Amino acid sequence: MSGKIKIMERKGKDLYERLYLIEVFKGMAVTFGHFLSNLLDNSKLYVRHYPEVKPEITARWRGRHRLTKYEDGTMKCVACFMCQTNCPAKCIMIEAGERVDGRTEKMPVRFDIDLLECIYCGYCVEACPMDAIRMDTGIFSVTGDERKSFVLKITDLLETPGAFTEEEYKKGGA
Amino acid sequence: MADKVKLFVNGQEVEVESGKNLIDAIGAVGIEIPHLCYHPALGADGNCRMCLVGIEDGRPPLVPACKTRAAEGMKVQLDTDKIKKIQRDIMELELINHPIDCPICDQAGECKLQDYYMKYDGQKSRMTVKPVLKAKKMDFGCGVVHDQERCVLCARCVRFTRLITKTGELGIVNRTDYARVNIFPGRPLANRYALNVVDLCPVGAMTSADFRFKQRSWFLTKSKGICRGCSKGCNIFIDHNREKYKDDVIYRFRPRLNEKVNGYFMCDAGRMTYKQENDNRLTVALLDGKETGLNEAVEALRRAVSQAKKIVCVISPNNSLEQMFAIQKFAANCNAAVSGYSDGYVIAGDGDDFLIQDDKSANRASFALLGIDASKAGFDAAVNGADLLICFQNDLSLSLTADALNALAGNCKLAYLGSNMDACAEKAAIALPVASATEDAGTLVNVDSILQQYAVAVVKNTPAFDMIHVVSQLGGEIKNCFEARAGLTAAVAALKGIDLEQVPGEGLALTVSEVPNVAA
Repeated sequence: MSGKIKIMERKGKDLYERLYLIEVFKGMAVTFGHFLSNLLDNSKLYVRHYPEVKPEITARWRGRHRLTKYEDGTMKCVACFMCQTNCPAKCIMIEAGERVDGRTEKMPVRFDIDLLECIYCGYCVEACPMDAIRMDTGIFSVTGDERKSFVLKITDLLETPGAFTEEEYKKGGA
Repeated sequence: MADKVKLFVNGQEVEVESGKNLIDAIGAVGIEIPHLCYHPALGADGNCRMCLVGIEDGRPPLVPACKTRAAEGMKVQLDTDKIKKIQRDIMELELINHPIDCPICDQAGECKLQDYYMKYDGQKSRMTVKPVLKAKKMDFGCGVVHDQERCVLCARCVRFTRLITKTGELGIVNRTDYARVNIFPGRPLANRYALNVVDLCPVGAMTSADFRFKQRSWFLTKSKGICRGCSKGCNIFIDHNREKYKDDVIYRFRPRLNEKVNGYFMCDAGRMTYKQENDNRLTVALLDGKETGLNEAVEALRRAVSQAKKIVCVISPNNSLEQMFAIQKFAANCNAAVSGYSDGYVIAGDGDDFLIQDDKSANRASFALLGIDASKAGFDAAVNGADLLICFQNDLSLSLTADALNALAGNCKLAYLGSNMDACAEKAAIALPVASATEDAGTLVNVDSILQQYAVAVVKNTPAFDMIHVVSQLGGEIKNCFEARAGLTAAVAALKGIDLEQVPGEGLALTVSEVPNVAA
């Protein structure tokens, strides 16, 4: 154990700084200066007032999922399981059944997305041959007080509208 | 061993079996010739033209591989531009009116059109006119759903009903754009092998109503198994899947090729036996109808065995050879009589000359091997005065009338070891759950004395113990399958010299002289 010992020279050797108190008051002056100026006028602040002011989200943002519908209100999803197959987090659980709304033959009777397991990679959107699942709801923050509330059911997914117009979404590169 | 001929494929010399057509001969060495209408069991039809291959210096230079026999020195071309263009063009023609509804098609993932498109076509459709719309979701009977739009008119299904079942329900009606596979008006498919057309169909035109939308084919684990529907012992694929947060569930049985036993097919009834593996299972031990822990129930049965004066062990003809042997040993240890009485498993006159047998149990032939008496007289003599009756998977309610079974359960204590909650299990004072056929490994001897083996295919989240293990807990000396196999080869004359650990996949024929008196 013969390490090289380096003795650090202490800065602030003059009496002024060694008194500390003067330096402390100088620092507090800066702090209180900012405090007072922001208290009187907070428009110049460099932070977003987050819960009140939401961030602007682009159409390419991968937010919470939704299932899209045709103009007549029937769902586009045909339960082909492509999203479930492609999902790296295995968070999509589908059960298929006979279609009852007059379009083709197949539709999901259960379509669950476990948001606690979802990694928001967007692979489900890419895999979908019907443009039936999108992540364009603009919802970036999902909260809940129990695990069960994070499992989205088919009704939740269908009810949520998209946050963007079709043109904006298409321009986003979808 | 068949004669071999040497021929050239794409300039590469290969040795193939003679007497076979090019698809089978070259396919056997791993070189695929695309084909839609040809099927080894149905013969060459030559209508799809997908298997056209070039023969260098041949007359004609272009032949359908399904109708051409492999010959010495033949120079087969598969990779020339001309052949590739033919394959691409045929695929383009097949896909002109194809609805491309793969997202809702049950065949997706095992569809020849998908495979061949990726392998031999891969071009965008050039069609600008609207596709011809045809009928979809037609009920053809027997659980077969037909989609005319997906059909490629290979006529495999038509030939199956004409050549194999000889019922001829299906036909191709009209020509060209109007050609459709259809049934005769008001006369749906009505044969006991109808669901084979679902497997035969290279595309999604024939799908099974039972399997419809249940699973996508790529999720399914395809394990090998043997059907227990009857004593034929058809080789099957057990398609099962464990969905997230759920248990391992079987979704369908499909026939597996075994030339010695079932060929390419199986019957519809056998196909549906997968439901027994899923439904109405005995999952917990029952003591007088009340759920108990397995250990307590085993202990109760052990006590009953030690206290009983006369015990009868009733073996099921569905037990594997190893299980029967283990039960026999257990019975010998506790001086119990052994009966294989199971007349209810036989439905006289139900069989046919193709696959279906009268005997609806899988392993009755093993009774003869092990010398187990299955007669009614023997059973009656055994149960007379008995005070403990242990049924090993044998559902006596099939063989006995309800009154007779009730009388029996009244006279003596009825214990049951089985995988399903059948009528016998409901009557039993002690019922112990054991692993079902697909959850266990074993050996079966079929009606033609072909010995076949199966391995564990399905593993449940909470697996039941296998029969041999439970029997050993009751006091049987054989602890596991391996011990049973070793004991079997030593004790049974017909199995001398057979390595039960290494039975070939296609089964082993026990010679007729070794298995006399095989039950019908």
